[in-house]
Amino acid sequence: MSPPVVEARGVTRTFPMPAGPVVAVRDLSVTIAAGEFVSICGPSGCGKSTLLHILGCVDAPSSGALLVDGRDVSTLGDAERSALRLSKIGFVFQRFFLLPMLTAAENVELPQAEAGVTRGERRRRTSALLDYVGLAHRAHHRPSQLSGGEAQRVAIARALANRPRLLLADEPTGELDQATGQQIVGLFERVHADGTTVVVVTHDPAIAARTPRMLSMRDGRIDDGASR
Amino acid sequence: MSAKVWAFALRSLARQPGRAILGILGVAAVGALLFDMLLLSRGLLVSFRALLDSAGFDVRVMAADAPAFARPRIADAETAAAAIRALPEVEEVVSLRLGNATVTGPDGGKHDIFLIGADAETRRRPWILLEGRDLGPSDTGGPPALIVNRRLATALRLRPGSELTLRGDCTRGAASAAPPVRFRVAGFAAFPFDDPKAMTAAARLVDFGRTCGLDERSDADLFLVASREGRGPEAAVRSIRALRSDLHAFSNEEIVARFQQVGFSYFRQISAVLSSITLFFGFLLITVLLTVSVNQRFAEIAALRALGFTRRRVVLDVLAQAVLLVGVGGVLSLPLGVVLARWLESILHAMPEIPAAMHFFAFEPRALATHALLLALTAVLAALYPMRLVSRLPIAATLRSEMVT
Repeated sequence: MSPPVVEARGVTRTFPMPAGPVVAVRDLSVTIAAGEFVSICGPSGCGKSTLLHILGCVDAPSSGALLVDGRDVSTLGDAERSALRLSKIGFVFQRFFLLPMLTAAENVELPQAEAGVTRGERRRRTSALLDYVGLAHRAHHRPSQLSGGEAQRVAIARALANRPRLLLADEPTGELDQATGQQIVGLFERVHADGTTVVVVTHDPAIAARTPRMLSMRDGRIDDGASR
Repeated sequence: MSAKVWAFALRSLARQPGRAILGILGVAAVGALLFDMLLLSRGLLVSFRALLDSAGFDVRVMAADAPAFARPRIADAETAAAAIRALPEVEEVVSLRLGNATVTGPDGGKHDIFLIGADAETRRRPWILLEGRDLGPSDTGGPPALIVNRRLATALRLRPGSELTLRGDCTRGAASAAPPVRFRVAGFAAFPFDDPKAMTAAARLVDFGRTCGLDERSDADLFLVASREGRGPEAAVRSIRALRSDLHAFSNEEIVARFQQVGFSYFRQISAVLSSITLFFGFLLITVLLTVSVNQRFAEIAALRALGFTRRRVVLDVLAQAVLLVGVGGVLSLPLGVVLARWLESILHAMPEIPAAMHFFAFEPRALATHALLLALTAVLAALYPMRLVSRLPIAATLRSEMVT
C-alpha cells in the first residue's frame, strides 16, 4: 500500500505579531491519499491558506510533522524543499502569477526548464498541456493578451508541467466570474480524473460541493462535524 | 551561471525596457568617466615615458639635480662627453645646448624661437627628420645648416634650401652681443618636446655657439646618452656616476619614477577621488534600479519559489540582471570614454608648454582590465542589497499579503 501523498501530524502554525502571537493552524492532523480531490473551505482567516502552504512545503509548521510521500520534510533545507516542490507539487494561485514577459507556452516551459527537462521534451509536453487546457491556439500570447479564465488555465498547465503527484490551488476562482470559475473547477475535475491528487482552497460552497471530500476549517482546526 | 539564468535575467530586464535603457545609459556615463579617470591616472606618465624613449636615448646627464631653468651647465662638456662615450656601457652621447633666438619673418614681425645646439656626429638625434636633410658633421660651403620644425617653417614660409638669419638670445633673458648668423634650412623635423605653438630650430654646437656668442665646446646643458644594447640604462647610469660623481645621471625609468612621486601624483589623486565618486554613483544607480524592480516583483518571485525555484536561483537572477546592466553599459562606456577623453585632451592641450606629443589620457591594456574589474565589482556590490531582499523573501507570507492587498 503506497503512503499518503501528504500527511500533516499535529501541525501548528503560529505567527508572531506585535500584539501577541496569532495561531493560524492549531494542532491539526490531516491525510490526503493518492487520487483524492479535496476542498478546504471555511471563513476568511480560518487558516485554510496557511494549511495549504504547509501542505505545499512553502511554509513550515511551528510544531508537528509533515510527511510528503511518507517522508518527513520538516528537516529539509531550502534546496531540497524547492526540489520537492518542483517535482512533486503543483501550485495554482488566485492571481495566476504568470510572468508577463513570457508567452503562455514559455510560462508552461519555465518549471520544466528549471527541472532540467530537455528542450524537445519541453516543447512536446507544453504543446500537449496547452491542448489539454484548451489553449493550444493561445500558446504564443502573453498573459496581458489573455482573459482571466485563460490565464488561470495557463497557470494550471504550468502547475502540471512537471507531472506533480499533488496539485494545490489557493482560491483559484477568486478572480473569475461564476461561469468561468465553474469551467476552472471542471478542469480540476478532469485533472483529478486523470490521476492527479488535487487540493483546492475555496470559500465558495458551490465549488466545495463539487469535490468528493470537503474539509471545513474554523479557528485553525478542521471542523469534523461540518466536513465530509 | 547557466544560460537559462542569463536568458531569464535578460527577459526580466526587457520587461521594463525604459528602465533598463536608463540604467544602461547611466552605467555607460559612469563607465566612461571611470575609464577616462583610469587613463588620466597614468596617462601623463605613460606618455612622458614614451617621449623620453622616442629618440632612443635612455640616460640623461645633467650638472645638478635641479629644474631646467635653475640648472647650471656641465662644464668642460667636451671632455666629459668623451669620457662617458668611452665607457663600455655607453653607445652614444649627444651634447645639447638649449637657448633662444629671434628671427624676422617675411611680414617684418619678430618671432621668438627655441634653439637647440647638438652634436652632429652621432647616429641618433633628439629629433625626427621629416623632410630634407639632417645636420651633417660639417658644411661644404655657404651658410651653416639648420633644422626647423613645421610650425616655424610655415610661419616663415621656409622650404629646404631657404635661408634665414637668427639673432641669439641664449643667456636667459639677456640679449646676446653676438652678430646675427645666416642659416640655410637643411630639413624639417619633429621635436618630441615641442608644444603645439612652439617654433624650434636645431643647429650644430659650433653654429649654436656662434649664434649665442659662446665657446661652442665650453659647456653643455644636457647629455643625452644611449646605453649599449645588452648592458642597459641602469648599468650605464652606475658607470657614469662612478666616473663623474659631480654629474647627475638618471635613466628614463628613474626620471619617470621621480615625476610619479611629485608632479604627476596630483593627477593620480584627482583621478582616484573622481573614480571613487563615479563608482559610488554607479553603485547607487544599479542598487536603486534593482531594488525597485525586486520590490515590484515580490509576489511573482514568491510564486516562482512556490513552483520550485530555489533561493539560489532567484538570487542569481538578480545578480545576472546587475551584471547585464553593468556589462552592456560598460561596453558602451568605452567608445563614449574615448570620445570624452579626446575632447578633454583638446581642452587640456590649450595649456601652454605642453608638448604636443604628450597625452593626458594614454591607453594601456591594464586600464581596460581595471575598468572591467571595477565595474564588475560595482555590479556585484550593487546587487548585494536586492539579492539579500530576494534571499530572505518569505514565500507564504508574501503570497498571503498579495492576496490581502
